[in-house]
Amino acid sequence: MVILIVEDEPKVGNALREGLEAEGYEIVLALTGEEGFFHASSRSFDLIILDVMLPGRDGIEVLNTLRKQGTQTPVLLLTAKDAIEDRVLGLDTGADDYLVKPFAFAELSARIRALLRRNKAEPEGVLAISGLEVDSVRRTVSREGHRIDLTAREFDLLEYLVRNHGRVVSREMLARDLWKETARATPLDNVIDVHVARLRRKLDDPFSAKLLHTVRGVGFTLNEEQS
Amino acid sequence: MSGLLGRNLRTRLTVLYASLLAGALLLYAVCVSAFFLHNLREQLDSSLDRDLEAVEAILYVNPDGTVQLSSHEGEADEDELDRGYLLEVWSDDGRPLYRSEQLNDQGLGPVPKVAPGQVREPAKSLRLPSGMRVRTMSRIHHLPDSKTVVVRLAISEEPLWEEFWEMVAVLAVGLPIVVILVVITGYLVAARALKPVDSMAKRAAEITADHLHERLTIDNPDDELGQLGIAFNATLARLESSFDQLRRFTADASHELRTPLTAIRSVGEVSLRKPGDENYYRDIIGSMLEETNRLTLLVDSLLTVSRADAGRVQPNLALVDLLELANESAAMVEVLAEEKGQTLRVEGGSSVIVRADRTILRQALVNLIDNAMKYSPINGSILVQVANDQESAVIEVHDSGPGIPPEHRSRIFERFYRVDKARTRAEGGTGLGLSIAQWAVATHSGTIEVQGEPGRGSIFVVRLPRLISTTTPVHTH
Repeated sequence: MVILIVEDEPKVGNALREGLEAEGYEIVLALTGEEGFFHASSRSFDLIILDVMLPGRDGIEVLNTLRKQGTQTPVLLLTAKDAIEDRVLGLDTGADDYLVKPFAFAELSARIRALLRRNKAEPEGVLAISGLEVDSVRRTVSREGHRIDLTAREFDLLEYLVRNHGRVVSREMLARDLWKETARATPLDNVIDVHVARLRRKLDDPFSAKLLHTVRGVGFTLNEEQS
Repeated sequence: MSGLLGRNLRTRLTVLYASLLAGALLLYAVCVSAFFLHNLREQLDSSLDRDLEAVEAILYVNPDGTVQLSSHEGEADEDELDRGYLLEVWSDDGRPLYRSEQLNDQGLGPVPKVAPGQVREPAKSLRLPSGMRVRTMSRIHHLPDSKTVVVRLAISEEPLWEEFWEMVAVLAVGLPIVVILVVITGYLVAARALKPVDSMAKRAAEITADHLHERLTIDNPDDELGQLGIAFNATLARLESSFDQLRRFTADASHELRTPLTAIRSVGEVSLRKPGDENYYRDIIGSMLEETNRLTLLVDSLLTVSRADAGRVQPNLALVDLLELANESAAMVEVLAEEKGQTLRVEGGSSVIVRADRTILRQALVNLIDNAMKYSPINGSILVQVANDQESAVIEVHDSGPGIPPEHRSRIFERFYRVDKARTRAEGGTGLGLSIAQWAVATHSGTIEVQGEPGRGSIFVVRLPRLISTTTPVHTH
């Protein structure tokens, strides 16, 4: 999988490259709109990550030209402005998704996976990892044969973590995907923490091997190894 | 227009009033002159009438048709005619029988026509060939032999006109003098009346952003200029308070932003000074990321507030059942109450419907409930009540906290305002929750206020315009 990143801030660009390379993607980094446009029209990519605020030719312009040329590559816009107009403009121009800066890397990584596997249905049925079985149809959970009773919210949370197991899930992702909240606020972050703590009590407390871990400052992960 | 009337208000006013006055005086002068002329003529006519009678008394017509003026006093009649009277006598068939010598056989106009049933022809003014203006009057005179003649008497109008033109001259000289005097006084009076404007303008020019506490001095609060001054002072007061708010906000915001930045910086610097293992550094980076998270939340909230300020948030209005919304909001943060052993209850009727943006309003409710939970003690209780009153839909959030002292009540909705400076920051709030709630309520033309007695908990009361609807309430699920 080859991803083009067009981002004028070298620190951010390099951090993204490093992070995504660690996840196994091949990265081409462009620091200006012109350079990005040159790359995008000279070879094909699986995904383009485009900063909106670029010196010279801005992201929207680059996207416009690319779409007019018939490039179908999925585009993820990065915007510093939390402005509705920008979002609408971006999506009208043909962006597939957008992310408001500053974003959590986990969030970006999740969006990229979502864009790359578009139209592929989520696997239904029983998800199983390390002795944990989550039945997404009957909404039951058992660990090493013991049934664990969860509230609806806790089940959703666990299912989400299992589907993303091995990766870090941020509070933003949970707020958006499980609570369907667009605006982040302190109460919601606290609510998420409480639900995670409760899930952990039911899931991990009776067992010696811990599955649910907090990655300080980032989010949560479901992983059999200590992270 | 302004070029013609002069540039400043003072000149314009003076010119305007002077022209109005001049116009009015001119009209007055014309009317007075016309009336005066009319009066003079009436006087002349009545003396003419009297004199005509006197003439008739001494008139004698001989049987041959010649006319003779005689009296018992002999020639006295001729004297009368010397005073400027002119006489004509016409036969009833239109022949001139007699003419004064001064007329030199020139007639006093055409044959007199006396309308049927009348005894005289109305007085007329005319100009003789000699250039003299005269007033004439004719009258039917009955002779002893039952025949009639027409007697016409004329008198010079020259003295009358002389008198008239004298009066016009007096007016023509006097009125401009009056106008000039009025212009001068008007200009001086206008200067005096407008003096407060000058001083207000000077004073206003001196008031800059640094001196917003200064006010204009108002001499007379009841006149128009006083009203202007009062309005201006009110504007200044509003400006001053928003400047103050902005200044406080900027100071508070930079303080709030600096706190996490300081933490990131010191944690980073200190950890670099001493060697540590991977776990140690993981912990340090995690701690820095936590602060970053706080910064992000803060910036997000600031953005919400500033977009709200700029009026860039377009509410997406729909019918909202407030009880349902209150239940939903409470359900979202319920776990936080459970953690503190608090009871969170929602009460109210199901027909409290408002037209609102669900997301924005829920944000307000969540913030209010969160605030109530934060300030209520462990095992305390929080009650959300939803009801209709006369004009509005009312949401009340009762907490069992310490209550808010009256002196803080007006300010707790200000950004970053904290009753207890140390406390909220430790609990992780941004200090913007209540500001956002207030904005959200205001967006829906509602009001929010705090009630309750210190020591007995606070009540946040939100009033929203009630949806007046006689149709069946629409429930949205």
